[in-house]
Amino acid sequence: MELKINGKIHNVDVEDGMPLLWVLRDELNMTGTKYGCGVSSCGACTVMIDGEATRTCTLPASTAAGKDIRTIEGVAQGGQLSAVQKAWIEHQVPQCGYCQSGQIMVAEALLDSNPTPTDEDIDKAMTNICRCGTYQRVRAAIHTAAKWRAEQTTLPG
Amino acid sequence: MSEIRDNNHKKEKKGMGKWTRRAFIATGVLGGGLVIAGVAGNMYLNNAITKYSGEGMGDGESLNAWVRIAPDNTITLAVPRSEMGQGVYTSIPMLLAEELEVDMNSIKVIHPQPESPYANTAFLDPNPRKAYASYSVMQKVSAFLPVVGTGGSTSVKDLYDHLRGMGATAREMLIKAAADKWGVKPEDCYAESAYVINKSTKEKMSYGSLAEAAAKVELSENPPLKEQKDFKVIGKRVQRLDIPEKVTGAAQFGIDARPEGMVIAAIRHASTVGGTVNGISNEEEVLQMRGVKKVVLLDDGIGAAVIADNTWRAKNAAMALDLEEEANTLEKVSSTDISNMLNEVIENNLFAPTEAHGNVSEALSNAEGAVVEAAYEVPYLSQCTMEPLNCTLVINEGSAEAWVGHQGGSLVRDAINAVTGTPKDKIKVNITYLGGGFGRRAELDFVKKAAMVGKQMMGTPVQLVFTREEDMKNGMYRPAVASKFRGAVGADGMINAWEHKMALQSVGYSSMMRIMPAMADSPENDPQSSEGAVELPYAFKNNSVAFGELDLPAMQVGNWRSVGASQNGFFTESFMDEMAHAAGQDPYEFRKKHMEQSDLPDADRYLGVLNKVASMANWSTPLPAGKSRGIAILKSFGSIVGQVAEITKLGEKQIKVDKVYCVIDCGRIVNPDTVEAQMQSGIIYGLSAALFGEITMTNGQIDQQNFPQYEMVRMQTSPTVEVHIMEVDEYPGGVGEPATPPAAPAVANAVFAATGERVRSLPLIKHGYTFV
Repeated sequence: MELKINGKIHNVDVEDGMPLLWVLRDELNMTGTKYGCGVSSCGACTVMIDGEATRTCTLPASTAAGKDIRTIEGVAQGGQLSAVQKAWIEHQVPQCGYCQSGQIMVAEALLDSNPTPTDEDIDKAMTNICRCGTYQRVRAAIHTAAKWRAEQTTLPG
Repeated sequence: MSEIRDNNHKKEKKGMGKWTRRAFIATGVLGGGLVIAGVAGNMYLNNAITKYSGEGMGDGESLNAWVRIAPDNTITLAVPRSEMGQGVYTSIPMLLAEELEVDMNSIKVIHPQPESPYANTAFLDPNPRKAYASYSVMQKVSAFLPVVGTGGSTSVKDLYDHLRGMGATAREMLIKAAADKWGVKPEDCYAESAYVINKSTKEKMSYGSLAEAAAKVELSENPPLKEQKDFKVIGKRVQRLDIPEKVTGAAQFGIDARPEGMVIAAIRHASTVGGTVNGISNEEEVLQMRGVKKVVLLDDGIGAAVIADNTWRAKNAAMALDLEEEANTLEKVSSTDISNMLNEVIENNLFAPTEAHGNVSEALSNAEGAVVEAAYEVPYLSQCTMEPLNCTLVINEGSAEAWVGHQGGSLVRDAINAVTGTPKDKIKVNITYLGGGFGRRAELDFVKKAAMVGKQMMGTPVQLVFTREEDMKNGMYRPAVASKFRGAVGADGMINAWEHKMALQSVGYSSMMRIMPAMADSPENDPQSSEGAVELPYAFKNNSVAFGELDLPAMQVGNWRSVGASQNGFFTESFMDEMAHAAGQDPYEFRKKHMEQSDLPDADRYLGVLNKVASMANWSTPLPAGKSRGIAILKSFGSIVGQVAEITKLGEKQIKVDKVYCVIDCGRIVNPDTVEAQMQSGIIYGLSAALFGEITMTNGQIDQQNFPQYEMVRMQTSPTVEVHIMEVDEYPGGVGEPATPPAAPAVANAVFAATGERVRSLPLIKHGYTFV
């Protein structure tokens, strides 16, 4: 099957039922997307498919064929971190970091669809588990990223 | 050494001096002779370096086992502690950078091989717990084996003096080399941002250009360490060095290891805890599945694994295995049975009290007021690291290499040696980032299982992966614990009697029997069983604290963030609240009164924390209708943490945890932002357990399969945490764990204030509470 990931076409020979997560991790060695639960509960495997945050550990890769898949590896453009990534650094969000690819992908999708999310919007969108409990900083970083995106100012560093 | 350090020795390091002990470890046991080396000059330094390979440190010259400087002025620092979120890849470099005079952003961190100069001697520290007091001589000797590991909130505690010393020594060697080249005295030069500068001519030489000459310098004495007022790095908010690669997906966790030719092994264990897998009845069938390369049985019936070219295929094939299983003694055991067994231990089988003052029985029988009785209980808990357990390794003829997120590099090496017979010096251990540790990644089960598979796949790298279900069902759980109190308040409004009995499985015994059997002491001597229940900062006229062991070896228990304090803090600080209410007093004022009369040497530090958290939370000001608060305080891992939880009662049993005020006294602070992050983290971890966490068993099978049955705090249920760090010039305590224990009692006490219901067993959802 043909998958378009971060703007690049990849041809993979896998069963139709293989979840996109394992195509990314094991067939294409794109290990930024993480395995956490395998039952779409924790969100560590989140990528964007046609702009929507999607958990990929139960999503057959075949259903993503022909769509625009964006993973954590495709968030920074031309070596420039996104506003969300920079806000994550500004607020020193990650601890162990394992869930953060998924958190960032949900945050990117949230801000694309809702440039000025309220705390309630964030509660509703950000349902990923972080075992290190970085939620407070995730929330603050989303607000900062929203501001930076709106200002379109030159981002720090 | 500086005066401060010497004072700290007196205060915190009674008994064997720290430097002496380190030198002993570096030179003594491994060399075969019990030689205690002196520490004059940089002799220790050079001794340490002889036990050090420099593997992975890159180009350049090593000035000691921690610092290598390349000709292009790249400063490579070895950080032999596992980065599992606690910020150790930044805090340890900060200690070195402070004295070495290099900028944090110019540092390259590597994780070295688990060699003896990197041993964690805080594991041996007798203070504050008497961990090794009862050990025989032979056990003491083995206790000096260099364990290179991370846990017990020890990293900064272990390295605070030592690494500043290493940084200072390296700096002085560089300065001496420069002074010699310029033909001036070392005092005529100073170091700044990885250059040595000539004071009079302002000429500079880079560390890189000096390293070769500096490596040959012999210092006659250890240089003095900076005073705190001169710190430029320590105590400042420093950006973590690991975060940039954690926002791009580039950070490599164990599960991301992809050595050339790697295959995946998915493991299946018996369906009952401790059961064995003796055969597979459909191996031929499973071998036909796409991508499957091999089906293997592990040694001693530990389980079966399917090796395939992709994790999903391996996992599906492992699920398809028909296992021939044999249950063990737990087959007929369920959680209610364990609860009964624990209560039986409390009634009939306690060890002699760990702590006793006065005569508690007499005080209880002569109590003027009512005797308050309460029975508490907490369940088994899973650490639930976000990254499921995994270990990648390749076993070759006579050598091996592993890639694993583990809390103990030397333990990994020892485990691979034990399973495969590969000589230890031919085993390379690559410690990756850990997707959470919490004590689970100090265990060796997943490493040994990977080695068992690996030796059946000689020459091929294998990544052994537990699915989330296998991870959750094959835990080394925080033990289930029962606890019973009797207490009485005297006419003076003070606690006259405090009797506490507990029953549990010893974590120290269970885990040491797995990790280092030679060091396993009897359950009776496990200080972790009573930590958080003894040495309380309250004046009790009569008290007795005793625990007993539930002998149930098939149900393995292990370290869970904050260990014994995780449950004992809940018991003691909940019952302290009960006593306050029995006395008709405010829970904060009641604690304060008992602290003021405490004779603990650090009672004043407790009071500082308690008063600060009460004032932060405006304790004396009533909250608006519908809101309530609870308070708790506990010392663990050398740091005192006080918390006030504020909750809103939305419905009869519907609660929102709005805010947690948190104050920590951890002595000297290395990175305030990390301390704050660890407080936030520890509280959420404690709350997840208090609100939702429970591992239960029915007829020997674990009931919880995956996150939907083991819920955790998420964004919506997460309170805001406001942190204050006390400024106290004392030797540093730990910060990774101490925020966890007070979270449960602070919230449970707030729930009592809100509802009048005293919740004496966790999790709260079991009592019908819901959280939004």
